[in-house]
Amino acid sequence: MSFYTVVGAFVVVVLSSAIFWVLAPKKNQTVWRSTVILSLSMMFLMWAITYLSQLHPLVEPRRSDLRPEFAE
Amino acid sequence: MSDVVLKDEAIFRSAEMSLIQLYIPQEVSRDAVYGIGEIGLVQFRDLNTKVKAFQRTFVKEIRRLDNLQRQYRYFHSLLVKHNIKLYEEFEDEKTFSLPPSTSSIDDHVDSGTLLEDRMVQLVEASEQLEKQKADLEQNRFVLQAGDSFFGGVGKQDSEADMPPQSISFVTGVIPRSKVSSLEQILWRVLRGNLLFKRIEVPGLVYDAKLKEPVYKDAFIVFSHGALIMQRIRKIAESLDANLYDISESQDERSEQLSKVNTSLSDVNTVLDSTTKSLETELYALAKELDGWNKSVSREKALYETLNLFNYDSNRKTLIGEGWVPTDELEDLQEHLSTLTANLGVDVPSLIQVMETNRTPPTFHRTNKFTEGFQNICDCYGIATYREINPGLPTIVTFPFLFAVMFGDMGHGMLMTMAASLLVIYEKQIGRMKRDEIFDMAFSGRYIVLLMGLFSIYTGFLYNDMFSKSLTIFKSGWKWPEHWELGETIFAKQVGTYAFGLDHAWHGTENGLLFANSYKMKLSVLLGFIHMTYSYMFSLANDIYFKNWINIVGNFVPGLLFMQGIFGYLSICIVYKWTIDWVKDGRPAPGLLNTLINMFLSPGTVEEELYPHQAQLQVFLLIVALICVPCLLLIKPLHFKFTQGRHEHQPLAGSEEGVAQQDQENGLLEDEDDDENEGGHGEEFGDVVIHQVIHTIEFCLNCVSHTASYLRLWALSLAHAQLSSVLWTMTIQIAFGMTGFVGVVMTVVLFGMWFVLTCVILVVMEGTSAMLHSLRLHWVESMSKFFEGEGTPYEPFKFHCVGFEVPA
Repeated sequence: MSFYTVVGAFVVVVLSSAIFWVLAPKKNQTVWRSTVILSLSMMFLMWAITYLSQLHPLVEPRRSDLRPEFAE
Repeated sequence: MSDVVLKDEAIFRSAEMSLIQLYIPQEVSRDAVYGIGEIGLVQFRDLNTKVKAFQRTFVKEIRRLDNLQRQYRYFHSLLVKHNIKLYEEFEDEKTFSLPPSTSSIDDHVDSGTLLEDRMVQLVEASEQLEKQKADLEQNRFVLQAGDSFFGGVGKQDSEADMPPQSISFVTGVIPRSKVSSLEQILWRVLRGNLLFKRIEVPGLVYDAKLKEPVYKDAFIVFSHGALIMQRIRKIAESLDANLYDISESQDERSEQLSKVNTSLSDVNTVLDSTTKSLETELYALAKELDGWNKSVSREKALYETLNLFNYDSNRKTLIGEGWVPTDELEDLQEHLSTLTANLGVDVPSLIQVMETNRTPPTFHRTNKFTEGFQNICDCYGIATYREINPGLPTIVTFPFLFAVMFGDMGHGMLMTMAASLLVIYEKQIGRMKRDEIFDMAFSGRYIVLLMGLFSIYTGFLYNDMFSKSLTIFKSGWKWPEHWELGETIFAKQVGTYAFGLDHAWHGTENGLLFANSYKMKLSVLLGFIHMTYSYMFSLANDIYFKNWINIVGNFVPGLLFMQGIFGYLSICIVYKWTIDWVKDGRPAPGLLNTLINMFLSPGTVEEELYPHQAQLQVFLLIVALICVPCLLLIKPLHFKFTQGRHEHQPLAGSEEGVAQQDQENGLLEDEDDDENEGGHGEEFGDVVIHQVIHTIEFCLNCVSHTASYLRLWALSLAHAQLSSVLWTMTIQIAFGMTGFVGVVMTVVLFGMWFVLTCVILVVMEGTSAMLHSLRLHWVESMSKFFEGEGTPYEPFKFHCVGFEVPA
């Protein structure tokens, strides 16, 4: 679990985009390619940003309303 | 399928267009144009701009059809008045058909006139009868009221006290709204020397003047003197009263009454039969009217198009000019030849492609899915011919940026379900009559569907479902082993949450702090990437149009400026995340201060993010500063040097140029008589001013547009907070209660929570997030590449406008 997870996911997204570029349906090909690849990349981006922001957090969760029974 | 592949998709760039000239023999012109109107491929240019509208060739025909349509509208208004439903036929899928023969149109015209006469006659007759009937009814009521009028008087004064010669009276019926003014006026005029009585007529009475039923009163005025009676009559009549003479004696009145009753029943019989025959005619008409109207409006559109053609009476041909998508040329040719073959005419219709320097119209081929997104962009501006169409990336970016602001799995699911309904039943709903707001939702159903789906995804990342968190993956945080009740505890990091926001943050005291920092950086990063992505389209456009100077003078300096400052900031954000500051034992530098100090005190860095930071920042700053004069100067200087060489050539716009152009126009009079798009007279000054504006705008926009993307953060924060407040204020209250009250409260509060969720959080917040997403596209994204100086392609195609229902 580190920065390389993001890099790995990036590679996966690039590969699947490339595969889809080839396999896209012939009818409305441009729309298919653009829509699917752009969706993949935006979804990846948002996941990556979320993941990275939690990788080395500078603040930790703090609360004082937990009941002691909650402890594992 | 094969022709689909052959044709250009025309969604990334608009379709290539050709200007064609059509030579159609005069005998088949009507049929040929009808065929063209059915396939709807050609946008005809007006070749007779100098001819006034009423001097054109087919004005007579159009006028005749206009009159016919007026008659049809009249029939339709009658149908609406009599509550008879128009029988509408739905157009089937396109079948090749020949136009209706001219004689059938003539028949329509004849029957239209005949029917109108008949209808007008019937309507007038029934109105007349209605009037008579109302008159008789009023008369009857006055007669009936006579008993109470005279009875009341009789009780007060004995008949012996009332000398019948001097006291006379006026009776009549008046609209209720005017009865008090009549009373007042009479009171003043006669100085109180009168007796006024009135009785309300039950129900509505038809008023001949207003032509609608109103409430009325019957009245009687007692006074004396012939002159005064005359006056009273005049005043009453001027207030729209109908006067009826009745007799004082009861016997005579009952005689009058029976007379009135007989004539009333006669009138009723006649009125019934008239109305019946009118309605029979209308029922017959209701079945045909829609079809007639359609064929007539087609005919009219046809003649309006023929009016755009050049009419050459000598050679017996019509010449038309129009734009056709280049890849549809063959289809058009084929269609026309089958058409002429079907008609059995020897002379073929000719199509000739013309060379032109006119700018063709912009045509993006859309389908039901892309149409909505294309409309979003077309609302802002029609793309220039062959420019990159912003409608294509909008398919994803629009719903996604919406979802960043709307992120909640639950709300996303509600939205998806609603949109899926519209999509699944689109055929049925498409046939329905829809009001304005529902039609808007229907035409944007695929947009809403994608918005809902992406909202589910972003909601998953925000780990929000109706403001609650899901605990799908193992948390990256661990609470201590044991603690006292009320003790403040801190979690310890043991890993990273795999997908989305860690659920350990839910309900913590500093959860908002973390979410804010995360969402703010998310919006800056997404905004920067979205803008860079859009900016790359301008490069693609410049390469396509071979506008090299634009790349050197605009694109490259702009890119360096933007990347040097905001690209650097984005990389810093990501870099800072990848370093474990706690483990390294270093203080994490604030990025905001870093960026501010980069400008205010270049060369000094208080807390280092990485080694040699100061030198790199100074370098980036210098690059960005150099880019500004580059943006400002390269294009104007290039213009100066290249145009300076041709200075002896007359520029269009200068006097010399105009004279020369006039000569040219004289030669090409019949071909090029309108929209002179020959040479753009661009002066050096124009170029300089344009470039100065562009430079200032671009540099300022880099800052303001990046800041503008912070709305993603603000809106998503507001949405999350609002939904959590709604949860706490409604359904959570019910969870503390037990027993019967608990059951009732749960049901009631759940209903409240659900309705408010749908209305406020999904519809209202959804609309607001949609508008913000729209703005991000129109302003922040499209300003980076979009010119939008095109004209839309509007081919000549039959589309029938139904009757408007009068409000």
